[in-house]
Amino acid sequence: MRTALEHRQPDRIPLDFGSTSVTGIHVSCVAALRHHYGLAPGPVKVHEPYQMLGLVEDDLRAAMGLDVTGVFPRKTMFGFPAAGWKEWNFRGLDVLVPGDFRTRTEPNGDILIYPEGDRTAAPSGRMPLGSAFFDSIVRQPEIDDEKLDPADNLEEFAPVSEADLDHIECSVRTACGGGYGVAATFGGTAFGDIALVPAPFLKNPKGIRDVTEWYMSTRTRRGYIHRIFERQCEIGMENLARIHARIGDAVDCMFVCGTDFGTQTSAFCSVPTFRELWFPYYQRVNGWVHANTAWKCFKHSCGSVERFFESFIEAGFDIVNPVQCSAAGMEPAELKRKYGSRLVFWGGGVDTQKTLPFGTPQEVREEVLRRCQIFAPGGGFVFNSIHNLQAGTPVENIVAMLRAVHEFNGVAHA
Amino acid sequence: MPDLEKLHAAVIEGDWKAAAAVTHAAIARGVAPLTIVGCLVPAMDEVGRLFECEEYFVPEMLLSARAMKASMEIVRPLLAAAGAEPVGRVVIGTVKGDLHDIGKNLVASMLEGGGFEVIDLGADVAPERFIEAATARHANLVALSALLTVTMPSMKTTVDAFQAAGLREQVKIMVGGAPVTQQYADAIGADGYSESAAGAVALARKLVVV
Repeated sequence: MRTALEHRQPDRIPLDFGSTSVTGIHVSCVAALRHHYGLAPGPVKVHEPYQMLGLVEDDLRAAMGLDVTGVFPRKTMFGFPAAGWKEWNFRGLDVLVPGDFRTRTEPNGDILIYPEGDRTAAPSGRMPLGSAFFDSIVRQPEIDDEKLDPADNLEEFAPVSEADLDHIECSVRTACGGGYGVAATFGGTAFGDIALVPAPFLKNPKGIRDVTEWYMSTRTRRGYIHRIFERQCEIGMENLARIHARIGDAVDCMFVCGTDFGTQTSAFCSVPTFRELWFPYYQRVNGWVHANTAWKCFKHSCGSVERFFESFIEAGFDIVNPVQCSAAGMEPAELKRKYGSRLVFWGGGVDTQKTLPFGTPQEVREEVLRRCQIFAPGGGFVFNSIHNLQAGTPVENIVAMLRAVHEFNGVAHA
Repeated sequence: MPDLEKLHAAVIEGDWKAAAAVTHAAIARGVAPLTIVGCLVPAMDEVGRLFECEEYFVPEMLLSARAMKASMEIVRPLLAAAGAEPVGRVVIGTVKGDLHDIGKNLVASMLEGGGFEVIDLGADVAPERFIEAATARHANLVALSALLTVTMPSMKTTVDAFQAAGLREQVKIMVGGAPVTQQYADAIGADGYSESAAGAVALARKLVVV
């Protein structure tokens, strides 16, 4: 993986599934894959309940032929630790969830979940009947522009605790012991990630927490957003220094930010707006990382984002994900030609909106082989599907995808 | 018509306070509600055009939609009292299981700004609720939105429910959302698909005159 990250030709394309919350696998698919490979039966751990991502344990990682493992924050999106596992029946599938994962099922079948597992608080997430993921319940206090205080939107950005540092150090030690590449998510450097704005991890979020209001605020309250980002950046960099002091250069890359700048057909903002509102903070974080560590900087953004790639590079990002080739202007060969020597494409391996969930295994194989032929030459490619493997994806298609990558790599695979 | 020029500008600039104030002033001067709607429609068409040519992005669209709604909320009761007929009546919502409604909200606003009466059922809407609303409100158009591959089948379920209820001839059904395609729309028997909010208005206008 390190060879690929350094834009040199590796002996084979490295594969990632499960190292981050944007390259993961839905718990139902993890269970299906474990069954397919004949691994030890038993409930799968849901290590990230917001997207219901299943933990990829070492035996599955080996069976799938993966090359990367992850380091995750101590707490989940709902603010409780991913620890103290207990059984839970997820609509017919027995899984393990963290001890503080506390829910209530409504009469219509919707499942509500509570921040920090506190049932006395208002629920912060809802999984409708018919869905397989939680989404945030927006809890937006009335906004008085005269009283808006950036500190209200900074509650979640605090100095890293000793418990967090201990967890990171322990997780890194475990991850590095497996001989895999390591992608680490420390948290705190995502500037305006719309999944985090509603703060499903907080009991009483203050400030601007409504998604629509936040988007409009990037235009109408830009000074307020700058003040949030400015302070968040300072706290984040102080935390990175403390984390690096603990773990050194043991991890290969750091998940910096998952803010989406692209839609299926367009973008969420113009390039000038990006450069005015986000670029300075990315540049400072990535600049610190490059000046003080050997970590590569990982940027996730869905959608049509080719227009931002030059700015991403200039801001110090080394890796882009998920490389949504189905979005406008994201033609894979053109991306490789223009940016392949300067950006690592971590993703783009197969479409998860159409081909993987709805195609045939043969269609999956053909698309995967085409993408490998485009992205693999000269390194700079870590194979991953375009975003997480979603619930409902046929396991035979997932296996067809893995077989195709291993076929391209010239490696035998079950 | 200086008021209406200001209203046009307020919608394009996304200034909801100005849009509301100008609308109040226009009504006080005796401007007919339909004349005000006649100003909002081209303003939102222009917003759609700016979005299509990427001078506007989602935040600007949301601001313009809010400004248009601020005006429409003042005008709507007057339109109803005058018995004015909309271009068409649309029941819109995200399908069962899907809570992602930003795209749907933009489409709803663009349709309302395009002269349609919009009955917005919100997010996570079961097929029977679409049917109830379409029947009760005499809608001639139903707009379904989905963001997730896992909820896309709810679109088919909803189309099938209209068929089973014997209402398929009365309403046109249009679909949209990130993973949705024309091919999928055709496969489930929908009447139309649009990949953008502005395109949805053009599609809706086409469907209601067919």
